[in-house]
Amino acid sequence: MPPEVRRGFVIFAGLVVVAAVIWAARVEHTPPAEFAFQNGTDPSTIDPHRATGQPEGRIIFELFEGLLRMLPEGDPDPETGLQPMTPQPAMAETYDISGDGKTYTFHLRDGIFWTDGTPVTAHDFAWSWMRMLHPATACEYAYLINEVALAEPFNKSIVEVGDRVEVELWDRPGESPGGEASLQHFPRGTMKYGTLRNIVKPDEPKIAKDASEEKREEITQDWRERWIYEVDVVELESDGSFAADSTATLQRYSVSPDIAQSDDGIQQAHWVLVDFQHFGGAQAIDDKTFVVRLNNSVPYFLNLVAWYPSFPVQKNCVETYGSPMWTKTENIVTNGPFKLQFRRLRDRIRAEKNPDYWNAKNVSFKTVDFVSLESQNTALNMYETGQLHWIYQLPTSVMEDLEVRDDYHSAPKLSVYFYKLNNDVPPLDDIRVRQAISMAIDRKQIVQQVTKGGEQPAYSVVPPGIAGYKGAEGLKENVQRAQQLLAEAGFPQGRGFPKISLLYNTSERHRPVAEVLQQQLQNNLNIKVEIKNMEWGSFVETVQQEKYEMARYGWVGDYPDPNTFLDLWVSDNPQSNTNWSNPEYDGLLKSASGELDPAKRMELLRQAETILATELPIIPIYFYTSAEMAKTNIVGFAPSALDLHPLSVLRFRTDDSQPAKD
Amino acid sequence: MNSDAKREALERILAESREIRGVSLWQDAWSRLRRNRTAMISLWCLMLLATLAIMTPLLPLQSPIDKDLSQRKFLPPNVGTVVMGSRPGLKFAGGTLSGQMAEFEESIRAMESKAQSTSDPKERAKIKQSIEDRIEVEHPFNQMWNDLGPVAWWMCEMRVAVFGDYAIPSLFGTDKLGRDLLARVFWGARVSLIVGIVATLVSLIIGVSYGAIAGYFGGNIDAAMMRVVDMLYSIPFIFVVIFLVTFLGEDSVKKKLDSIGIDQITIFYIVIGAIYWLTMSRVVRGQVLSLKHEQFVDAARTVGASQTRIIFRHLVPNVLGIVIVYLTLTIPAVMLFEAFLSFLGLGVSPPDVSWGLLVNDGVQAITPLKTRWWLVVFPGAALAGTLFALNFLGDGLRDALDPRMKNRT
Amino acid sequence: MRDLFSYLIKRAAWMVLTLWAVYTVSFILMRSVPGNPFGGERNVPPAIERQLMARYNLDAPPLQQYWDYLVGIVTRFDLGWCMGLEDYSVNQVLAEGFPVSATLAIFALVFAIILGVSAGVVSAVFRRSKADVALMFAAVLGIAVPNFVLASLAILLFVFMIQIFPAGGWGTLQQIALPAFCLGLPVAAYIARLTRTGMLEMLTKDHVRTAIAKGLPYRTVIMRHVLPGALLPVVSYLGPAVARVLTGSLVLEKIFAIPGMGSHFINAATQRDYTLAMGMVLTYTVLLFVMNTLVDLAYAIIDPRVKLQ
Repeated sequence: MPPEVRRGFVIFAGLVVVAAVIWAARVEHTPPAEFAFQNGTDPSTIDPHRATGQPEGRIIFELFEGLLRMLPEGDPDPETGLQPMTPQPAMAETYDISGDGKTYTFHLRDGIFWTDGTPVTAHDFAWSWMRMLHPATACEYAYLINEVALAEPFNKSIVEVGDRVEVELWDRPGESPGGEASLQHFPRGTMKYGTLRNIVKPDEPKIAKDASEEKREEITQDWRERWIYEVDVVELESDGSFAADSTATLQRYSVSPDIAQSDDGIQQAHWVLVDFQHFGGAQAIDDKTFVVRLNNSVPYFLNLVAWYPSFPVQKNCVETYGSPMWTKTENIVTNGPFKLQFRRLRDRIRAEKNPDYWNAKNVSFKTVDFVSLESQNTALNMYETGQLHWIYQLPTSVMEDLEVRDDYHSAPKLSVYFYKLNNDVPPLDDIRVRQAISMAIDRKQIVQQVTKGGEQPAYSVVPPGIAGYKGAEGLKENVQRAQQLLAEAGFPQGRGFPKISLLYNTSERHRPVAEVLQQQLQNNLNIKVEIKNMEWGSFVETVQQEKYEMARYGWVGDYPDPNTFLDLWVSDNPQSNTNWSNPEYDGLLKSASGELDPAKRMELLRQAETILATELPIIPIYFYTSAEMAKTNIVGFAPSALDLHPLSVLRFRTDDSQPAKD
Repeated sequence: MNSDAKREALERILAESREIRGVSLWQDAWSRLRRNRTAMISLWCLMLLATLAIMTPLLPLQSPIDKDLSQRKFLPPNVGTVVMGSRPGLKFAGGTLSGQMAEFEESIRAMESKAQSTSDPKERAKIKQSIEDRIEVEHPFNQMWNDLGPVAWWMCEMRVAVFGDYAIPSLFGTDKLGRDLLARVFWGARVSLIVGIVATLVSLIIGVSYGAIAGYFGGNIDAAMMRVVDMLYSIPFIFVVIFLVTFLGEDSVKKKLDSIGIDQITIFYIVIGAIYWLTMSRVVRGQVLSLKHEQFVDAARTVGASQTRIIFRHLVPNVLGIVIVYLTLTIPAVMLFEAFLSFLGLGVSPPDVSWGLLVNDGVQAITPLKTRWWLVVFPGAALAGTLFALNFLGDGLRDALDPRMKNRT
Repeated sequence: MRDLFSYLIKRAAWMVLTLWAVYTVSFILMRSVPGNPFGGERNVPPAIERQLMARYNLDAPPLQQYWDYLVGIVTRFDLGWCMGLEDYSVNQVLAEGFPVSATLAIFALVFAIILGVSAGVVSAVFRRSKADVALMFAAVLGIAVPNFVLASLAILLFVFMIQIFPAGGWGTLQQIALPAFCLGLPVAAYIARLTRTGMLEMLTKDHVRTAIAKGLPYRTVIMRHVLPGALLPVVSYLGPAVARVLTGSLVLEKIFAIPGMGSHFINAATQRDYTLAMGMVLTYTVLLFVMNTLVDLAYAIIDPRVKLQ
């Protein structure tokens, strides 16, 4: 290269560097939000029907609003500091419950609008509930409203001959017969309604005996896809009602493109489902009245209505932009106290006050930041420097210093920390071994010296604090008895006991607990424990495939009732993963769900819990408490059992409203 | 014919010449290195460290895994006396390790005498078996140390015999679960150093062979091999490592590997070693390229040495100097990488400790409210000091082995 | 100029080949890790799992998936939808994360070069002085201390003891300063050592000795004759430096809560977000390759002895 080129290049390189620095130094300054808090992991979605986690929940509770809303009622419990929260009228102004507890009629209030200016109607709810239950939405919380009439068969796509059904033809926008499926299941293709007359099933496939469960499911699913449905289709009148049955014509449908292609008389369909839209338990009578019919009464149903999966989304918005594009800031239409201003990945979601919200005059904050932040230390740092106003995951190493401060809040939570045992793996299949392990664990040491957030030792699975329920006693620590049990099981002094592995998902919170447990079992029973950690994804997979021995788990109650903690362990629950089954236990839970008298129901549940606490398919360790820091100038902040903190009721203390107390 | 004799003579001369050359180079380098004070101090420090790490079980340290939650959490460095096995939770006889051991051995002896007294050989074998079981499961060492190998076990026995229940006070303080940091730093040194050394050796083997082969054959082979290295340079290896560590940590995979005798930590070495060979191979190739036209190589070729022999017997020893320099620079890189993986939660799993894990724990304990400085300072200083020494030694070696420095002081 | 073009074309071809190899290896690795990305806490019924699998084309045979995805990337630059962050496509994630990481990296590198070169020059010019010893000691320290330790200490020092920087987050120059400093320091240390060695070597060169003997001002000699030659190794180190900054930013983005690509990278790998992970690997590969090529190019232009090949 000639020297001029070289010199030129050096100058050029210098300019590039300067340009890069100038580009990098551009600062798009966003003013800090009025209220900012730590929201944990980055939310994976803000679609109410797709979300599952707590961080997502907190956002959806502010952006959307259901018929009812969980709000504080009365004063905090003086003993525990818990703020009672009840479902209170929100989009619905009033509601009626029928005497048998099976029909709920919600009357929507006037003056409720979506952020695009259109009114919120009962039809929005009917459509939203259908979307939530639709199998293609794959809403993980759909099971919660299984008791709504037809909800379960619709959600699980179960149809039987004689059912009123809906058929969605293969003509969604952009689809051609036999072509690629459109992945947007709303707007739907042409809908046909009628009565299912017959299902033509090909021969049931033979499944090899040694086939894995996965393989079995796959073969069955393939087979089901080749069914041909014969439906008496009834045309709809122009007003949406059904014409007389006499006008019905028999049509044949199949979801398999091959079958539809091979026979001109068969039309290709996406789904053949029960007709939830017309005959299901969630119907809009008119714009203002929404009626829910249940198969059985559900004592906690109002809580479910106030839970975010049952919140409405706007049909027009979803159908125009499709999923997930409708959740983008520029597209989304919501109806809650706040509306989305911007969303930055792994940084924050900024919401601003929604001026069209019906109760906007009582919403104080102008802007709110949901800051995605997992690291406890970083969160504490940002809290201490005033960048955050509320943090809820505190580093255990400074718990002693934090818990004496004024801005520290702690209260029991409806959630339990436990170890699942794989009851198929010897020696854990022996009840004496399980009891021995449980009795050799010093839970007090764990909660007082390790977790240090005021947690309560747990000997059973249902946390205290559920109204009308007194939990089972369980087996307390007793090292001598534990050694004796272990000896009876054939392992005197731990001799011959195989090394067992204890699995936890990677987290600074779980490791010390596991390490202490390891030492306690070694000290007390001479049992060697190998601890392993995995990232959440692999962890869940390993547990579900039952390739574990002991695994840490936590369960947060979905609603304040013992049932949410107990029905996990019935024999066929896919989330149990313990291989434990007890017919007596299953029976008790079943009779409890049919029991109308609350006191008797609770007694049945208590008996079930006693079985669980004696047989110990899982080993409870402690009941969580919330431990959080919130700046003292926030009014209305109090811990609640379900860990809900509606931001719409919080405000900063203004100087004149604060009487000089101290 | 007399070609044999000639050949012999030639080989003898060759051998002699190589001898002379080699010896003078190394001696020269050594004398230069000795004059470099920092490098020599580093060398001595490293040797001391390695010795201490090997001897750790012999030293009168506290238990690295025994957690005293009620009494000894977050103690700052202190000189309060500690008696081995005195934690009430252990329920050791007499509150000491030696007391418990005496009691345990007593009961074993009782069993042994019982074994002797029985005449039935079956019965005797059974008792013998149960004695072994008991030693394996109930021996007090299990409460104080984790998974000791036979040598470490023997060293621990020596330690108890020599020092009894004495243990060095918690000069480095204790951690959040009440474990002695001094002991943990020592036990962590074993893991960290082994990871560093073994991974580096793996990278050495791959890098040197690859570089030497590419350099020796030259031409298209060289071009192709070096392009592959270029390509590998552009791959974000951290990602591959995260994946491999997750993948190999899966139970099903792990069991398979266990059955062929490979445990997780071995894989760890191999994975890390397998990504640190690139620079090494480039350097070696460069050296080999310049060496391969030297006369001694031609000579070896003339006498009919095979290519493998020429590469590994004649060329590789001649690039050893530069290889050693890079070795001392790769070990710190690997140790830092181990710390980095620990930070991500992918490093060694407890109760094993490594410096990376300790430093990470220490960093967790730094908060604006309370600075438990000892948790990060001591393991951090151990790690940084070692890396420091390795870096200085590497620099010194480079200067010493650089022929251009020959006549300089 | 002809060399230059043929060189660039050759490098581009190699890049394509590398990307293809990386794609293939990552694809195989990801598919062979046990577990699927939809293993949520609650078991998903088979019919619904099929829907999810179809959305991500996971129901096709592996070879078909391999091909479809490759075609999508090549023809449309379409990396698909994220499996974890379901509201986002991989391209959107990259578009949001890249500028942040790039900003951080630019500041860190510029800081490292300025600090490193100045320190190196000072310590070479005043060789064996106290300043030299101190600087080189600091340099080794910078290399030897893991950057997460450095970051924690820096937070303690500059956020809480001397309150001049915020503890984390992103958006203002103040928030960039501390992470850029922690990210750049180890690189600066390395550059300082390289500069010093280079300077010392140049100072013994004949033309430099001549220049000094001729009576040119010392400052001119250093700036004109010594520094350009001494900086050559620094230029060749810039390639690895970029790689180092990118790796380092994984840690610092985590500690300082910065929404860059690094934090996505770790989560994608550990949470089985196949599509996002693939997008990340390919992006990083392109970045590293382009930077390495630029560095080689710059080296060839600056150093008359080096020819492009």
